[in-house]
Amino acid sequence: MSHETEQLEKNRAKSRRQHSDLRFALHLLRQNPIVMAGLVISVTTIVLALLSNLLVNGAYWHQQNLNLRLCWNNPAFGWPVTNLFNCGGSVYPLGTDAYGRSLLQMIILAVPIDLQIALEVVASAVVIGVVFGSLAAYMGGLIDEIILRITDIFLAVPWILLAIVLIVVLGRSLTTLTLAIVITWWPWYVRLMRSQVIGEKEKLYVERLKMMGAGWPRILFRHVIPNSIYPILVQSTLDIGSVILTVSALTFIGLTPNPLLPELGNLSNQGIEYFFTAPWLIIFPGLTILVISLGFNLLGDGVRDIFDPRLRR
Amino acid sequence: MVFVLFALSVLIFYLTRGLLPPTTALAPYINPRLTDAGKLSIARAVGVATSSCPSFTDFAALQNGCVTPLWTQYLYWLKNVLVGNWGYTLLPGISGTESTWSVFFGRFPYTAELDIVAAALTFLIAVPLGIISATHNNKAPDHLSRIVSLGGYSIPQFWFGAMLLLVFVLYVRIGGLGLLPASGALGTTCALCFSNPGTITTYTGAPLLDALLSRNIPYFWDSVVAIILPAMTLAITSLGLLTRIVRSNMMEVLRQDYITMARSKGLKERTVIYSHALRNAILPAITVTGLLVTYLIGGSVIVEIVFSWPGVGSAALVAADVLDINFLELFVLVAGVIIVVTNLAVDILYAVLDPRIRY
Amino acid sequence: MSQSHTQEGGDDVLSIQELKLKFHTYAGEVSALDGIRLSIKKGELFGLVGESGCGKSVTALAIAGLLPPNAEITSGDVFLDGKNVLKLKPEEMRLARLKDIAMIFQDPMTYLNPVLTIGSQMAEITRAQPELFVSTLVNHRLRQIDRPVDGTVPDPGLLAERESLAHALKSQGLGRKELNQLTKSYAISLLKSVRLPEPEKVYEMYPFELSGGMRQRVMIAMAMMRRPKLLLADEITTALDVTVQAQILHLLKDLRSEINSSVLLITHDLAIVAEVCDRVAVMYAGNIVEIAEVDELFRNPLHPYTKGLLASVPRADLARTPDSIEGSVPDLISPPSGCRFHPRCPKAFETCPSRKPSMIEVGPNHYVSCFLYGG
Repeated sequence: MSHETEQLEKNRAKSRRQHSDLRFALHLLRQNPIVMAGLVISVTTIVLALLSNLLVNGAYWHQQNLNLRLCWNNPAFGWPVTNLFNCGGSVYPLGTDAYGRSLLQMIILAVPIDLQIALEVVASAVVIGVVFGSLAAYMGGLIDEIILRITDIFLAVPWILLAIVLIVVLGRSLTTLTLAIVITWWPWYVRLMRSQVIGEKEKLYVERLKMMGAGWPRILFRHVIPNSIYPILVQSTLDIGSVILTVSALTFIGLTPNPLLPELGNLSNQGIEYFFTAPWLIIFPGLTILVISLGFNLLGDGVRDIFDPRLRR
Repeated sequence: MVFVLFALSVLIFYLTRGLLPPTTALAPYINPRLTDAGKLSIARAVGVATSSCPSFTDFAALQNGCVTPLWTQYLYWLKNVLVGNWGYTLLPGISGTESTWSVFFGRFPYTAELDIVAAALTFLIAVPLGIISATHNNKAPDHLSRIVSLGGYSIPQFWFGAMLLLVFVLYVRIGGLGLLPASGALGTTCALCFSNPGTITTYTGAPLLDALLSRNIPYFWDSVVAIILPAMTLAITSLGLLTRIVRSNMMEVLRQDYITMARSKGLKERTVIYSHALRNAILPAITVTGLLVTYLIGGSVIVEIVFSWPGVGSAALVAADVLDINFLELFVLVAGVIIVVTNLAVDILYAVLDPRIRY
Repeated sequence: MSQSHTQEGGDDVLSIQELKLKFHTYAGEVSALDGIRLSIKKGELFGLVGESGCGKSVTALAIAGLLPPNAEITSGDVFLDGKNVLKLKPEEMRLARLKDIAMIFQDPMTYLNPVLTIGSQMAEITRAQPELFVSTLVNHRLRQIDRPVDGTVPDPGLLAERESLAHALKSQGLGRKELNQLTKSYAISLLKSVRLPEPEKVYEMYPFELSGGMRQRVMIAMAMMRRPKLLLADEITTALDVTVQAQILHLLKDLRSEINSSVLLITHDLAIVAEVCDRVAVMYAGNIVEIAEVDELFRNPLHPYTKGLLASVPRADLARTPDSIEGSVPDLISPPSGCRFHPRCPKAFETCPSRKPSMIEVGPNHYVSCFLYGG
């Protein structure tokens, strides 16, 4: 079987698709201010994460300043709280947390940690999803049934319960946190990849490759997967926002490895405990989560619309 | 369907009993005042200790030959599940002689009520929003509703709940009291509350329903006032999915030829949108109900904590802390049953509404 | 666009003047109609013939006001019975679609709502504006009641009904229940008139339960319900078998005389045109190139495109294989200059690319747009 012919088929299909997609995509992008806003926010978040160690000392979160806990001295706005504890001394723009650390610095330290967990989760879910989804779709038959049934089982449980059970059983650490979320996320990716591959394997070039005598591993891994993986990659980049929501929800309810950890959900957990005396402690970390996930979701929604063939004119 | 539940039970069983020491799994079944011999016999009855195990201390130390193989444990466990024996609750603040089952189902109606109200709100807001978005595609109302639904989808539930509390309980105050109650299922200390709502008889366990059945209007009102904020928190964060589906379905339907035909017959635009477009667009949207239910049950855990709502969600967390495995297992299985049944009901409803499937 | 709202044109039901239309797409601007002129007389069966993409359907949509949002009419007028349809407000246009113009489409499967019964899709027509249908419905029912049944005495119930119907006629109003009942009986009789078997059953059926030919008859019945002045039939037989095609066409012809509508029959099939039309216009790439009475066109085609079309029809009586026209349909984003047919025309000469030929009367009721004949 000729390698050049294979390459030619692959390239032809690829360039045809890229050319028309790109042109149309740019046209829609120009028309859509929402997507642009999402793009800006997402990029800013990533930049902030990368620069965080330059802005705040990485070891800052270990220290505790218990006589400065839960205080607020930013004159810009006040809170309807009866006994607002004043920090005195230097101004803490967002007040202090339950351990007396500046909330602003904690948030800046938390962004890269959350982003990192999100990336790990998404990467793992993508790998699992791609492998099992494409196998299920390409092999069909019993393998497909089994894998589908397994995803059904996982999707019949509210994710948070599964995650709670897992973390309770396996102990609290960043690894188990990541693992718990991956276990609740992977069924979606398997299904997504599966539906992509089901569509892809019916295409003409697969038929041709089979006739040329290519074996199924080669067809699957060198042709079908690379051609179907595009929407998965798009989906995963945009799921980053949702994963951050998930992580912070889990740490918010207390399943965090270390109560001192600079993590947006963890900070909010302190916040709900002291809500009536220090509401800023839940408001600002939560707001950060909102903005980050909004950025990625706006971007994702817009890009998804652009590439949705049904909505094209 | 049954298979899914069965497999789910296996999964949950393995995750909990398989990965935790058998003494932890045993805890709910053991009345703490029993002697060692008594504990051992219970351990045997529940199927975790073999009959050849000499003493309870040997069992606790996991001596060889004392612990039954996992699959035997599973069969015993399954038998207990099916007869409704879930042992005693380990939750603090409740005497150790209350069964897990009764504690769970005592709190369950509160969660159910919250989720049902939230689901209703979600539909009531999301469907019109989706329609408006589709009919004014790419113009101002569309952008606005997309921001609202996307925003809802991006909001951390705990944060939104906290914000609502901040505004309606801390900021808006009348006569020294917050506008709405801060916590619990019955609001008695708020500006809009009746401070003395009286009592009701328990028919279903869900306060809203029971208050209506007992014809106690002040109690009903206080329950409504208390459920608003948590239900809105759940609803706002769930509407993103539904709105998006309604919107994209409507947009696709409005491109269909029979819509052009309907317009060509000289029908009013309102008739075209509601009698023709919506009928076709809403059908696929109901398949998302199962997903919605899953999301709501999961979301209740967080929302119940923020609003101190006495449902199973807030209890689940405490159960996790004290390793009350039975409680968590029961929760997971009940949730599984609800979701599977919901999906089945949706499938049936779809067949009823779509004449093409009926024939 | 011209400023006139009315126009003298004798008994023309439809008169299109220099209509230019373009579509805004992401690939560019498509010049779909390049100044077409067309008129249809009362009671005429007018054929509009051309290849796919030449703008026939677009013309029909423009008349009915059903163009998609990315269409823009850059100039020209469309007069329906003297009224300028392009100048109407949306509500007036809707009423025009209800009462004056009826459109039947190509594929009845996609043009009927799959989740509603045939009956409900017919009944909603009268519900859209009941006042317009009172006379039709009442008179129809009265005719039914008055039909003599041999040897029987008139039923007192019927007499009472007659009274209330006469009253409704005078007051021009109908109660909701009455409206529904009358509509149902009227609809069923229409289904019978389009020769559907068991019309009462069809009324309760869903579109997917009927065959293609039956659905097309339903569409015709829906159009008949409004007794329109102009019936736009867009490729209505294309999706049907040949035998069914013939039936539908003859049905159309019979009904045309029954309610005295004019019909604009859009098709790419010359055989159909030969079968049922009185006059025909040939369209190419957004222009009308020839208009003539049917016999005249087949006997004496003038435009090179028309000649090419006729030559490409397979014929059993000639021994040779059909010729095809060289080249392919032009890209309407950047159409050929001047006469749009010149790149494919066997008779093209220097003037052809330079400017567009105007439409000239070459014989009685025979017009052509080609430099070979002047212009």
